[in-house]
Amino acid sequence: MTVATQRGGGGGSSGLYDVLELILDRGLVIDAYVRVSLLGIEILQIDVRVVVASVDTYLRFAEACNRLDLEAGPGKPAGLTELNRSGARGKTKGALPRAEETISGTFQQARHEGRERQSDRAARRRGE
Amino acid sequence: MSTYVYGIIRASHPSLAKDLDGIGDPPRPVRVLRQGELAAIVSDAPDQLRPKRRDLLAHQRVLAEAGAGGVVLPMRFASASPDDDTVTEVLAERAEHFLERLRALDGTAEYNVKANHDEEAVIRLIMTDHHDIRSLAEANREAGGGTQEDRIRLGEMIAAAVQEREAADARLLHQALEPLAEAVSAGPQSSGWLANFSFLVEGGSAERFLAAVDAFRREHLHLELRVNGPLPPYSFVDTPSSRQVDGGTAEAFGAAAAQPDG
Repeated sequence: MTVATQRGGGGGSSGLYDVLELILDRGLVIDAYVRVSLLGIEILQIDVRVVVASVDTYLRFAEACNRLDLEAGPGKPAGLTELNRSGARGKTKGALPRAEETISGTFQQARHEGRERQSDRAARRRGE
Repeated sequence: MSTYVYGIIRASHPSLAKDLDGIGDPPRPVRVLRQGELAAIVSDAPDQLRPKRRDLLAHQRVLAEAGAGGVVLPMRFASASPDDDTVTEVLAERAEHFLERLRALDGTAEYNVKANHDEEAVIRLIMTDHHDIRSLAEANREAGGGTQEDRIRLGEMIAAAVQEREAADARLLHQALEPLAEAVSAGPQSSGWLANFSFLVEGGSAERFLAAVDAFRREHLHLELRVNGPLPPYSFVDTPSSRQVDGGTAEAFGAAAAQPDG
């Protein structure tokens, strides 16, 4: 489990990614001030989750499901989990690069389409 | 030379550190422009601005420094005024509104909480909860993984269950933390989190809020939580009426931000 608690103003760089959308998309906007045009802003629009409803995701889930030891429930001893994980590592190698390729392909596509039609992308992001 | 604006403070705000670096390369020195009861934290604006790490961090650092001394209304990144006079004119024109916001946010801070599933843990939970998924998985396994079609069908069922679980877990997180906050703002949905909430928390409640986050984390081990704060109250500077004015910008920079669902 990833535990990341940043306290003390967020001035460090470690939490920058997490607060990026607050700095760029929240905060006071005053119409009498112009917003300096920002190049490269489309980075915010990229959404990993657009690939959730794809065949590759389904296959990845099925693969992950096959890796799990059905006999052992969520409360099984930690040592057993580690064993299973190291045993399954070889198997997942084939599946992961494929998912990554799909994601990067989707990014390209999203960027491309995003320049043309923003509203469509928003709809896709919501899984419509 | 245009003027970059970081935030708005009270004129009585304690002085900022003398050599505070602003945005730009080389960093522009940070200045304070006073107008009546209000003041703006500014620097000269560089000719070009990109959302680069260094400048984003500079914006954030200036606001953190100002926030340590008292309440501040953080501007959105990349706000610039044609000149210093326009900055102070706006402060004079809208003094009442800014003072009201400063009063409302005094002594509070924003805490942003993002959540995601630990994939393996959530699939494990889904297998425990859904008999149909479990039996299909077992059948596939017995058939040496199953056909491509079987595997897609299994994955599809898991994906649907995962999405259901995401929505349910987002609701649980909201319910658990909302009572400890003055206000809650849903963050943009575009960043790949199952939940992204900002909570406005009173200084006196901060410890209890963080304790509640830790308790939630212990109760829901299949969730990965990321907490950032205290932050300047980025998500709470606008009243509902002024938010309408800025609707165009919100739309241009992420239509999903306006979507309460997801």
